[in-house]
Amino acid sequence: MSLALPPLRVARYTTTSCLGVGLVSHVEALREARSGLAPCRFDTVELPTWVGEVAGLEALRLPEQFADFDCRNNRLAELALQQDGYAEAVEEAMLRYGRERIGLFLGTSTSGILQTELAYRDRDAQGALPAGFHYANTHNTFSLAAYVRARFGLRGPVSITSSACSSSAKVFGTAQRMIAAGLVDCALVGGVDSLCLTTLYGFNSLELLSSAPCRPFDAARSGLSLGEAAAFALLERAPTQTTADAALLLGVGESSDAYHMSSPHPDGLGARLAMEQALRQAGLRPEDIDYINLHGTATPSNDAAEGRAVGALFGAGVACSSTKGAIGHTLGAAGGIEAVLSLLALREGLLPGSPGTAALDPAIAEVAPLDYLLSPRAGEPRRVLSNSFGFGGTNCSLVLARGDAR
Amino acid sequence: MSVPNTATPPVDPALMREVAQHIVAALNLDLPAEDIDPDAPLYGEGLGLDSIDILEIALVLSKHYGLQLRSDDANNHVIFRSLRNLAAYVGEKRTR
Amino acid sequence: MNQAIRAALTARVAGIGVLGPGLADWVQARAILRGEQTYVAQPCVLPVPQILPPAERRRATAVIKLTLATGLEAVAAAGLKAAELATVFTSSGGDGRNCHEICAALASSDRLISPTRFHNSVHNAASGYWGIATGAMAPSAVLCAFDASFAAGLLEAMVQVAVTSAPVLLLAYDTDYPEPLHRVRPIPDSFGVALALSPTAGDLARLAVDPAAAFTAEPATRMDDAALEALRLAIPAARALPLLRALALGAPGGLVLDHLPGQQLALELSPC
Repeated sequence: MSLALPPLRVARYTTTSCLGVGLVSHVEALREARSGLAPCRFDTVELPTWVGEVAGLEALRLPEQFADFDCRNNRLAELALQQDGYAEAVEEAMLRYGRERIGLFLGTSTSGILQTELAYRDRDAQGALPAGFHYANTHNTFSLAAYVRARFGLRGPVSITSSACSSSAKVFGTAQRMIAAGLVDCALVGGVDSLCLTTLYGFNSLELLSSAPCRPFDAARSGLSLGEAAAFALLERAPTQTTADAALLLGVGESSDAYHMSSPHPDGLGARLAMEQALRQAGLRPEDIDYINLHGTATPSNDAAEGRAVGALFGAGVACSSTKGAIGHTLGAAGGIEAVLSLLALREGLLPGSPGTAALDPAIAEVAPLDYLLSPRAGEPRRVLSNSFGFGGTNCSLVLARGDAR
Repeated sequence: MSVPNTATPPVDPALMREVAQHIVAALNLDLPAEDIDPDAPLYGEGLGLDSIDILEIALVLSKHYGLQLRSDDANNHVIFRSLRNLAAYVGEKRTR
Repeated sequence: MNQAIRAALTARVAGIGVLGPGLADWVQARAILRGEQTYVAQPCVLPVPQILPPAERRRATAVIKLTLATGLEAVAAAGLKAAELATVFTSSGGDGRNCHEICAALASSDRLISPTRFHNSVHNAASGYWGIATGAMAPSAVLCAFDASFAAGLLEAMVQVAVTSAPVLLLAYDTDYPEPLHRVRPIPDSFGVALALSPTAGDLARLAVDPAAAFTAEPATRMDDAALEALRLAIPAARALPLLRALALGAPGGLVLDHLPGQQLALELSPC
C-alpha cells in the first residue's frame, strides 16, 4: 500500500526578484501590474534582449566564514533568506524539530556557473583556470544547497533538483514524499537561479530570446525574457484544522513528455498529465481551481502547447495568466517564485495580470477559450494551480490552497 | 536581397563539398560528406534534419564564413532547400 | 507520530546495470566483486544507443550513452517495462565535456554557442533522452548532491518506492572532466550504475533505511581491493561499489554509504 501524502502547511515563504526584495514589493508590483524587465546590461553581454535583473548583487557579500561559496547565485540566495523573517523561521524550526529532521530540497538550473564562465576568460597562457577559482562551492549544481546547509547548520536529507525550468516546483514533491516517509518533519524548499552567459547566449542560439519584453500568450509573442530570482518556502505537516489564513500545499503532479529535448509536445500531453496528477493528489476536480499561474514563457511553441493542455482539461473560462512578463523566465527558480506568487494571490485576493500581453492569441483562444488575465483582478481565489515545464520534457504542477479550502 | 531560387543555382563544387563537410561534422552525421545528394531536401525527408540541426548549420556556417543566417529568415525555405542552394547562398554572402 | 510512518523504508533490488572503467556490465562486475575475476582498470567504453531515434542518437553525449546502457540493463534484468517506470537520475555535476565546450565558446570573441550543446547542457539531459528513448512519461527526479549524489539518489528512490508502492529506476552516473576543469574536478572516467527497485518483486536483496536514523557518523564502508577502492573514491557514482559488492555476495548486514562529511547513509541489506 502506498503512503498517503498529507497536506502540508506552507509555514513561511519569501521571494526576491527584479520586482524587489521580499513579499511586500511583489504584492505592490502585482497590484500595479509592474514589470521589472529592462534592456539587458548584464556583465558584458551584447544581445538585444530584456532581462529581469536583481539590483545590488554585485555589492552583496556572504558572511565571512562562507567566503568560499561566494558567487552571484549564492548571494541572491542569501539576500532572499534575509527577507520576511524567513531565516528566523528556519532557526525556530531547527529548535522545534532538530536540525536532523529538516529536509533541504532546492532547485537550480545553472547554480554558480557564472564563476566558471568568468574563470575561462581569465585562463593563463597554459589554459589553466585562475588560482582563486572554487568549483565545488560555486559552479557545481549542489553549491546552492551546500551553502544553505552550511549557513544554517542543517543535517537532514539534502538534494538539489536540477530539471531545468521545473526544478523548484519539483522540490515541493520531494519534500512531500520525505515527510510522508517519516524521514523529516519539516522541509526548506525553494529555488535560486541567476543570470549567466550560458543561458543568455544559449537561448539566443536557439533563437528563443525576445528582443522586446516578453509577451506571454500574445499572438505577437516572439520568445522569452530571462530573469533571476530566489524563492523559499518552509513546509511542515498541516494540522487537521486550518483557518483561512493558512497556506496549504494540496497536490503535486509530475510527468515527462518523452517527446523532444527543446520542444514541448504540441498538444501539451505531458503538461496535462502533470496537472491531472496534481488535481488527483489534491482530491480536486478542474472546476475547483480558481486561478492558474501558467508556465507561459512566451515562446510560440510553449504557450500554444500549454494553452491546448489547459483548455482541454479546464474547459472555457478558467482564470489564468503568466507572470513572466513581470519577472522574466527565472528557469530553475521559476517554479518556486511562481508558487510564491500563487500563495500571494490566495493571501491578498489578487489574481495577477500579464504585463506585456496586449491580447490573448486568437489561435490559442480558438482551441482554448481561457479567461486570460491581461491585468490584475480582485477576487477570492481559494485554490490555485501553478505550472512549471522545462527542457527535456519535464513537467510539474502544484495545487496550493487557503487553509479553509481543502 | 537576391536569393537564388532556381532549381539548380550555379555553385562552386569545391565550396559545396566544403559546406557538406561542415554539415557532417557539426551534426555528427554517420555518412561521408560526398554522399549528401546536392539536390535532396535537407529538412525533414532526405537527410532527416530538424529545426535544431538547421540552427546548428546556421551557427557553423555563420562562424566559418562570416555571414548572417537565422532560422526565421523568410527565405530559409529556399536557402535550406538543398545543399546546392545552401552552398550557393554561402558563396554569395560570405565575407571570409 | 504515527507508527506506520516510522516503519523502515524498504525496497527490493530487482535488477542492476553497471558500466565503468574495467566493468562492462553487471555480469562482469558481479564476478569481480565476488572475487572470481581480477579487476583490471581499463577505459570505460560507452556504447552507441541504438534505441534512440537517429537525430537524438547523433546528439547523444557521454551521460546519455552511459545512462541508457546501465538503465536498460537494469530494466531488462528486472523484467520491467521502461515505458512505465518512474526514474531518479542523480549525478555529481553533469556533463563536464559539454560544459567545457560552452564555457570555452563563451570566452571566445563571438560567444556563439552551439544550440545542440546548450540543450544538452541541462542537468536533466540524460532524463530527457531516456524519456525519448523509452517513451516513459512517468515522473523523473533529477538530483545533484556533489560527492553525495549516489546516496542522495538512493534515498530519494527508496522514498519513492515507499510512497508510491511502485517500482522506481535509480540511475547514478558521472563522466570525465577535461582540462582545465579537470584540475578542479578530477573525475577521470565514466561510471554509471542503475538499480531497479521494487516494493514487492526482485530477489537480489532487500534494502532498508530507518527513517528515524538514516544517517550515521560512522565512516563509509570501503572496498578491500585497492584498485576498486581507488575507483570508489575517484568517481562519485562509484560510491555505490560497497552496495554492489554486498549485492554480488548476497551478504546481509549493515552498510555505510558515502554521503556528506559526518553524515553517511546507513543501509541494511537482507536476503529476500
